Formats: sequence, C-alpha cells, structure tokens
Amino acid sequence: MGSRSILNVRLQEKLGAWLFFGAPGIRGKSVSCVAGPAQQPPTLPAGARGGFGQIIPNLGNGQRQSSNEPTQSTDLHRPNSISLHPCIRPEHNLTALSCHRGTQMRNYATMNTQQPGPMPEYQVDPYRLLEDDLKDVYTYVRNALRRNTYQEDLYEIATYYFDGNGKAIRPMVAILMARAVNYHMYKEKSGLLSSQREVAMISEMIHTASLVHDDVIDQSDFRRGKPSVNVMWNHKKVTMAGDFILAVASMMIARLKNNDVTLVLSQVVSDLVQGEFMQLGSKETENERFAHYLTKTYRKTASLIANSVKSVSILAGADEQLSDLAYQYGRNMGLAFQLVDDLLDFVSSSAAMGKPTAADLKLGLATAPVLFACEKYPELNPMIMRRFQEPGDVEKAFELVHKSQGLEQTQFLAKQHCSEAIRIANLFKESPYQKGLVVAADYVLNRMK
Amino acid sequence: MALSKVLCRQLPLRKFLPSVSCIYINNKQETRLLSSSEIQFAKLAQEKKPDWNRAVSEAEKIVGYPTSFLSLRWLLSDEIANVALHLRKLVGSNHPLLKTAKGLLYNGKNNMQAWGLIVLLISKAAGHSADIPDMEQDKAAGVLHSQRALAEVTEMIRTSHLVHKGLVNLQPPNNIDATGDMMFGNKIALLSGDYLLSNSCIELANLRNQDLVELMSSAVRDLSEAEFVGPRDKQNNPLPAKPKSNQVEYTQFTDNNLEPLVVSEALGNAQAEWTLRHVLNAGSLLGKSCQGTLKLAGHSEDLQEKGYLFGKHLALAWQACLDREPFQQGSTGPFSLVCAPMIFTLQHKPELYVHIENGLETVDDVDYDLLRKEVMEGPGLDLTKKLQKEHSQAALQVLNELPASDARTALANIIAAMQES
Repeated sequence: MGSRSILNVRLQEKLGAWLFFGAPGIRGKSVSCVAGPAQQPPTLPAGARGGFGQIIPNLGNGQRQSSNEPTQSTDLHRPNSISLHPCIRPEHNLTALSCHRGTQMRNYATMNTQQPGPMPEYQVDPYRLLEDDLKDVYTYVRNALRRNTYQEDLYEIATYYFDGNGKAIRPMVAILMARAVNYHMYKEKSGLLSSQREVAMISEMIHTASLVHDDVIDQSDFRRGKPSVNVMWNHKKVTMAGDFILAVASMMIARLKNNDVTLVLSQVVSDLVQGEFMQLGSKETENERFAHYLTKTYRKTASLIANSVKSVSILAGADEQLSDLAYQYGRNMGLAFQLVDDLLDFVSSSAAMGKPTAADLKLGLATAPVLFACEKYPELNPMIMRRFQEPGDVEKAFELVHKSQGLEQTQFLAKQHCSEAIRIANLFKESPYQKGLVVAADYVLNRMK
Repeated sequence: MALSKVLCRQLPLRKFLPSVSCIYINNKQETRLLSSSEIQFAKLAQEKKPDWNRAVSEAEKIVGYPTSFLSLRWLLSDEIANVALHLRKLVGSNHPLLKTAKGLLYNGKNNMQAWGLIVLLISKAAGHSADIPDMEQDKAAGVLHSQRALAEVTEMIRTSHLVHKGLVNLQPPNNIDATGDMMFGNKIALLSGDYLLSNSCIELANLRNQDLVELMSSAVRDLSEAEFVGPRDKQNNPLPAKPKSNQVEYTQFTDNNLEPLVVSEALGNAQAEWTLRHVLNAGSLLGKSCQGTLKLAGHSEDLQEKGYLFGKHLALAWQACLDREPFQQGSTGPFSLVCAPMIFTLQHKPELYVHIENGLETVDDVDYDLLRKEVMEGPGLDLTKKLQKEHSQAALQVLNELPASDARTALANIIAAMQES
C-alpha cells in the first residue's frame, strides 16, 4: 500500500501536465473512470471514433473468430444487450448502501458525483482481499514445473520469471472474477474452486511462456528489473523452456476436464501468436492501422485476461450470458491495461517499469500514442512506415508524441474501456469481490508500472 | 524432415545389408505381398530408387488422400503467407531456417508425411469400437475424422519442434549478427513454430477429449526436455556424457508415461543414454500419438498402452537406422556426436572422450575423420544394427496382435523397408 501511494504521488508530479483527468490515482477517494458529462473527450482519429465498442473485435463465445478483422457494425447492439442482461438486479443498482462489516459502502458507479458528507473509509484493495489466494501463486507454478522435469537448467530457465516479483495481475483478476461470480450465483455457499485457482495459475503460465518467447524475438535486455532470459541463457534453450511452460500449462488445462475451458484457453494461445504475427507488419492507411493496432492489442493482451475470467465463470457453472459478461469485463480491462502500458512506455522512467522506456519505438512499433499523434503531425507517417529505423526517428517521434494530444487521447480511450469494465462489474451482485473488480479496473488505469 | 534425410541417404546402405523378411507376419496374402515387394526392392536398388517411397506411397493409398498437414488450408492461412513473405528477406543469409523450410517444402512429398501416415495406419489397423456414429467416420479411409485430426497434430508438433530447434543462439556476448539477418530469422522461426503449436492446441481442444490433450501436451513437454539432456555446445548441439564404467539397464518406460523421465541415471550408459535422448526426442511423440489414436477409437487401456509401445519402438528403430547412415563406406564430414554408433564406441573405448571434449565450444572442432575411423573399427555399428533390430521386432510384435489388414501389412512393409537399409 505504502509504496503504491508514493508511486502515485510521483505519477502526479510527472504526469500532471498532460494527464487527462486530474483525479488522484489508484486508491484516491474520488477516482472515477466513468466519463462524466463535464469531461470533453479529445478527438479520436477516424478509426477510433464512434465508440470503442465498435472498433474492438468482438470475440465472444470462445469461437474461432479471431482471424476476422474487426467489423464496424456487429458491435453496435452490444451495449443494449448488456444492459438488458438478466443478471442486472434493479435492486442491486439502486441500493448504493448495502452493508459489509457494518461499514457504509458506496456503489462505485456513483462515485464520480460529488456528494456531501464523509467519504467511505472502507476501500477494497484487491491484492489485500486476495492475499491468501495470491501468496502462493508463484510457489504453486514453480512446483507444477518442478514436477514436470528432472533437469535443473530447464527448471531454472522456466521458473526465472516466476520469482514473485511480477504484478500477478492476471491471476488477481481471474480469482477476483471467480469469487465474484461464485458469490453472484451462490452467495456465500461457494468459495473459490480449486479448478478456478488452477485457471489463475495457468493464465500466468501462458503469459510467462509468451514473455519468454517475446524476449528471444525482441532481444530485450531487462525485464522486471533483472536481465531478461535471453541474456542469461542459450536462445535455443530459452525457446524450448517457453514451449515447456506452455506444455505444462496445457497439461494442467486438460486436467480440469472441461471441454469448453480447454477450447477457450487454447484460443488464447492462438490469439497470442497471431497478435505477434500482426506485430511484424503494419497497415498502410490510418484507418486500417488503428483497427490493426486494436486487434493486435486484443490478441496479445486482452484475450488472455478475457478468456481466463470467462473460464473461471464457466467452471462456476455460469450460463453463456453470465460468462460472456465476465468475458466482456476482461476484454475491456485487458484493452485498457495494454493502452496504459503503451502510454507508460512514453512517460514512465526505466526504474519504475523495470524495462527501458520508448522500447516500443525502438522495436519499430507504432502504439496508440503515436497513432493518435500522427493526426496532428503527419510527418510521423513515413516514420511509422519505416518502423523508426532511421537515425533520429525514435527521438523525433518521442518528441512529437509529447507535443501532440496523443497521450491524453490514449488515456481517454483506456478510460473508456475501464468505465465499460466497471459498468459490467457493477452488474454482478454486490460483494467485496465485485467491488474488487471495480477497483482493479481503476488500478489498471492509474498504475505506474 | 529427418525422415526425408533417412530416405535419401539410405539407398546406398541397402546394397550391403541382407534383406530381412517379416517373420512375424503369417497371413498368406501378406506373405505374398511382402515377397513381391522384396523383389521390388531388389529392382529398385538397381535403379537407385529408395524402396521406402514405394512402401510409403502404397500405405498412403490405404488411408485415403495424402495425410500431410501441408494442406491448402494450411498454406493459405494468413500467417503462413506472412512467413513466406518474410522468408524471402532471409534468402542470402545463413539462417538455418531456410534449410528447415526447404526441407519441409521440397524434400520429396512422400517423406514429409510419414509420421502422420503411421498414426493413420495404426488407426486403421486397429479399427474402432462399434458404437462410434457414422458421422464421425471417414468410411472410405477406414479412420475417424478425429484420428485424421490427431495425425495432423502429430505432424504440426513435430514440425514446430524442428523449426524451434533450428534457431540460432544469439546470446550475448557471442552475438555475431551484424546484419540483423539472424535475429530476423530467429523471429520468424520462433513465431512459425509457435503458430504450429498454437494450431495443434486448438485442433486438440476441438477433439474434446481431455485425456488426449494431456497426453499430447506431455509429448510436447518431452520434446522440449530433449533439448536439455547432457552436455551441449554453444549452439546447443548435443555431446555425449562422459561414459560411466558400470553400465546399468535402463528401465524407465513402464508405469505412467505422463511423468517426466529421470535423466541423470541414464547419462553415461551408452544404450540408456541413447534411448533416453531419442524417446524424448521422437519416441514419445510417435508413441503417444499412436496411443492417443487408439484412445479416440475407444480401445482398451491395454491396447492403448501397446499402441504407445509400437510408436515408441518404431521411432527408435527409425533413429537407429538414421544413425548408421553417416558410417557408410566413403562417407565424410560431421555426424551427430550422440548417434548410437558413436555412443557405443565411446563406451567401448572411453579414452576417446577427450576428442569429444574438443567440441564443447562448438561441435565443429571435433575431429570427425578420426572418430569415424574409430567407429568403423569398433563394435558400435554392429551394436546399432542389433539395437535397430530389437526395436523393429518390438514394433512388429505389437502389430502381430492386431487383426490382419491392408493397413497392418503396410506398416509391416514400412518396418521391413527400414530394416532393409
């Protein structure tokens, strides 16, 4: 807690000038992701205009849709269909004050409105709420890998990133959702299922397997404040270690003995690879480029979060509508997460991130801030096309992004996705975990690293 | 790809080796088939054409259309189109991915498909339980659609592993990649391998059989484990472990093949080390695929287990056959330091290990001519031949328990063709 709020102060000092909304960060009392009427949205480029729901590919139902390019029309009805969802309990939305531990609770959806009187003292910290669930994640994963090899160097490489220093954001969200859905369906009668816990571990393993391969591809030097795997070991061994982690995760998935969950999580693996392929090339026109970027973002980041929360709801016995709601929460959360990540790449210091900044530019990748910036500075276009290869490109692009509204616009888009995630989180029956989902979405938006 | 190598190189071998008939096959008609193919072998040898191709192409007819995953569907996918585009940039560089890709695409279409083919043949030879609905059967070929999908998965996993194995180690400071070609090649190789792997994940998930998913995932695990066994040079090429003086029998593969293999005990024991390396490298995948396909057909655990043994032994026989090939009269150049003849020779003459140790930096530093001479003079080649025969016979023994069929004959023919060489 303490260190996070310090980071928070730094965030404000550093970002105060451009942060779109000046609200205090992660755990600030008046934090709001919900776009209030007073806030004027910055202009978005054509590809992003007209509501985020339209430009993000809608990959519901765990079907093999990911190869489709995002369509502009199919999503139009989605907000309606969600608001008519049967799991909206009118009484739930209306009773802003329901009691937990005798403390006054406030419905987060209304927190942006300035209300007189004392603000609630009780704040849900997802990490604290799930302390018991999360403390053994890394140990558990290491044990699973340990059981699957007798070879020390393989074990060492495979567990290198399971050192307990990660944010564990994927397991955190998966367990929060699992508990929130369990509560939604069974009240206090159902605790966390062991299969749901497994999914949380598996999500982190799939993520790490992709990190390991990314490091070989990108030849990165640092990750999480230490030398990355490709610096430490033979690249061929590192690649195999990535395959190994994936294989063990896949065995764990199979042991859950649930056909749908296996399908959903296999789709994640496929999305990750396809997202990586999309990163190899960019599109010619601006319009296509933004859609391309968002699809890539979905596949590389959001798919994993969305489909693991979907999996835990399937395991809870949720019907299709409820698990799709969970999926939509995860998808929005994941998109926001990556947008913020891309933004932090421009504003955060290397020390805070544990990896170098402007890394994306150096890798030749045009992320949201750049794509927004080239609305105002068309001279960025040729640089995007040549992947910032020429001397001075990276510095020039970096400067232009800061001069433009690109960072605010990225922040705004991230915020929209967060609001949507929060809106969905509020459709679940009120419980500490449901509140945790709301806070987690806020945390994603306001994080420093 | 390894297969195509076997097949291309095995033809000169055939001249020296006596033909081995399939003593296990008693069916009259099959005997006739086999002997006729033996005649064919003789003819083909004169024409310098490998009989292997014949055994394989006949077998293909039995299970319907060619089985390779290199189907239109695969070739037309966006990602592969992308890869092809990027491969062009690599032309002129030294990245081994080009060689791998060439091997996959051009090295004789018959050979590429052999692993999937074997899975389909054993599927057909074993048949399936009566309560499987017609909808799920490919009546003409005599296999289930799910079995065909599994055969495809087997090939995708194998190819993915080969492609990943073909990366170049660019770990600093021995990064000699001035042009960036190597890095780019690695990127494409890694992604292509991952693409195949992710596709197999989805194909497997669609079969809706979690035991099968677990089994095949454990085969992927075994493949990745294989790359960590024993000492390695900078490019991760394997070197044999220092030979131990007391040899132990290696009995690992009985209870539960979902468990990982114990490595340390096997290292330094010639046969055990060789077996361990190649079970992880090849036997596990083919064995588990054969086991899996019998699972899909609803056969008993007992028969599934035998399917595993069949695939495992076949893969090992194959490997032994491959291993002998660099020691034909007149061969030159480097060979795998962990091939059976070399490992057996080391066991016989441990003082040779100093020459192996020259390769710890890079296997290119090893004096291959010297080692080849030692192998040719030692007992290594005979022991390897014996090893191959043991595994061939173990595979045939399983076949014998299946009812006579054209698919069974085809498998026996393939084994015989291999034994011939």
